[in-house]
Amino acid sequence: MKKKACLMILAMGLLASCVSVKEYKKIYLNDPDMKLSAHQNERFESNFQVYREGASGANGGKTGGGCGCN
Amino acid sequence: MAERQEVVVVVIKENMRRTVILLIVIFCAFGIAAAQEVDSTKVYKKKVLESTEVDLLMSLYNQDGVHSPVNGGIGTEKLVDGTPTIVISIPLNENDVLTIDAGISAYTSASSSNINPFMSVASLLKNANLFNTTGASRGGTTVVNPNPTTPAPPSKPYGTPWLASTGASHSDVNKAVHTDYSHSSDSRNLIWGTNVSYSKEFDYISYGFGGNVTALFNEKNTEVGLKGSAYLDTWKPIYPTELREYMDYGAANFQSSGYFKGVTILNQAGNASTAYMPSAFTPWDSKGRNSYTMSFFTSQILTQKLQMALFFDLVAQQGMLSTPYQRVYFADKPNFYIGYPAFIPVYTTPDNKAVYQLADDIERLPKSRYKFPVGARVNYYINETFVLRSYYRYYADNWGLRANTISFDLPVKLSQAFSVTPSYRFYAQNQISYFAPYETHLSTEQYYTSDYDLSKFTSNQYSIAVNYLDIFTGLKIGSMGLKNVNIKYSHYDRSDGLSANIFSFGLKFVGDK
Repeated sequence: MKKKACLMILAMGLLASCVSVKEYKKIYLNDPDMKLSAHQNERFESNFQVYREGASGANGGKTGGGCGCN
Repeated sequence: MAERQEVVVVVIKENMRRTVILLIVIFCAFGIAAAQEVDSTKVYKKKVLESTEVDLLMSLYNQDGVHSPVNGGIGTEKLVDGTPTIVISIPLNENDVLTIDAGISAYTSASSSNINPFMSVASLLKNANLFNTTGASRGGTTVVNPNPTTPAPPSKPYGTPWLASTGASHSDVNKAVHTDYSHSSDSRNLIWGTNVSYSKEFDYISYGFGGNVTALFNEKNTEVGLKGSAYLDTWKPIYPTELREYMDYGAANFQSSGYFKGVTILNQAGNASTAYMPSAFTPWDSKGRNSYTMSFFTSQILTQKLQMALFFDLVAQQGMLSTPYQRVYFADKPNFYIGYPAFIPVYTTPDNKAVYQLADDIERLPKSRYKFPVGARVNYYINETFVLRSYYRYYADNWGLRANTISFDLPVKLSQAFSVTPSYRFYAQNQISYFAPYETHLSTEQYYTSDYDLSKFTSNQYSIAVNYLDIFTGLKIGSMGLKNVNIKYSHYDRSDGLSANIFSFGLKFVGDK
């Protein structure tokens, strides 16, 4: 799994070196629905999923701790 | 063999420790670099946050299921939870933002009410209609109910895993506050922040703190971030009533003192017995639970309409990772009950109205857990009407849990102001190494739990959200304008029978500039 993660990060690095979208061409990327983070009120869903499921994390939110959850 | 295993564990722990130290060093280096950056540009700067924003959020959640961990893996899991929350983001100057996030979570839970499942004669009389049936048939066994016209004598408490008890633990309120401070550099290519948090409920208190740093480069096409956090939590352990009595009065006296005084304990045949002895139970030797997380993320713009992000977390948890009131019943120990013997043959079915099995022990889990989740999010702007948001996560930990999560959102813009977003999420996990269903663990095992949250299952979640966005904030309340309204409903089904509904509602107000 570590190898896969390293490969993914490396791939992102390679992509970074060949793509550059200018600021004035980011009209689609700046759309609120294109945000790469979870929406504000998805926090409630993430919260109950942390309790009701064994897995958590890797979504920019809760990873365990701060509650008597899994 | 045991020595070899021990050496492997030591090597894994050492590697983990080195990795965390390395990440902390990198994190500190970023932080120092950020702190030393000279804000040399004196021209007008656009604020990171133009004006104060206030989010008013609310969720209502309910669930039901048939595998309550408090009852050792059977019984009702009914739970209702309401969560009003307020989030205030305040621009301190052009570069700095302070965010305060405060909320409560008020819940009632049938499952946790059964920490003390034994109801008094008053509630027995109140629930007398439970007995007004002619009998129940399950698995070829006909159950003759107690005489409905003759309530039980006051000295006879009863309970059942299939109903909420009237105990104090049936409801609680969690209060939480989280404060976050962030600073952006003049170029807006470097952001660092720090946060503290606090939460408290009756049996759990948590203090958290952390920091994060994010760097943007390649004309803001690439973003790399590192975040560290720690939660220092403390349990106030609440044990199941029968085990608490055993702990308080000792093996020699607990059946003739306190709660058990004058109460008849039944064996599997329904006869009075004094043989119940939960000798496997010992109270916890510590109460702390610490969680340390290092999160790495990177995002990349791929085209004018496509971007993605990767998330990679390392989580180390230490301390009391089990829950003190979750019962376990051993297959190699005799069973004992309090209540009505007529219901013992149908104990594991909802036909059981009035008998409760006494615990052999509480769940026991290792005192350390290491989690390794990795996730990816890819968003694609299809056209002016549709956007596709997708997410995938793979999760592994040292308790043997492996899980996959995939979700899709499809925001549909109905007009400039309104959009509707249907979503689907699929989740699958195997069981941890220490899980077994009700009455199947052996007393010789070191670790055990019958918590179905850690069992093998799949789940499906279907959602629909409606979003209203007014970028001109036309509707004013005082100096604040309404910018956004979001309403979302989700239905969740788990393959072990648990189902849940969650309704969430959010309003965003923006202050005058």
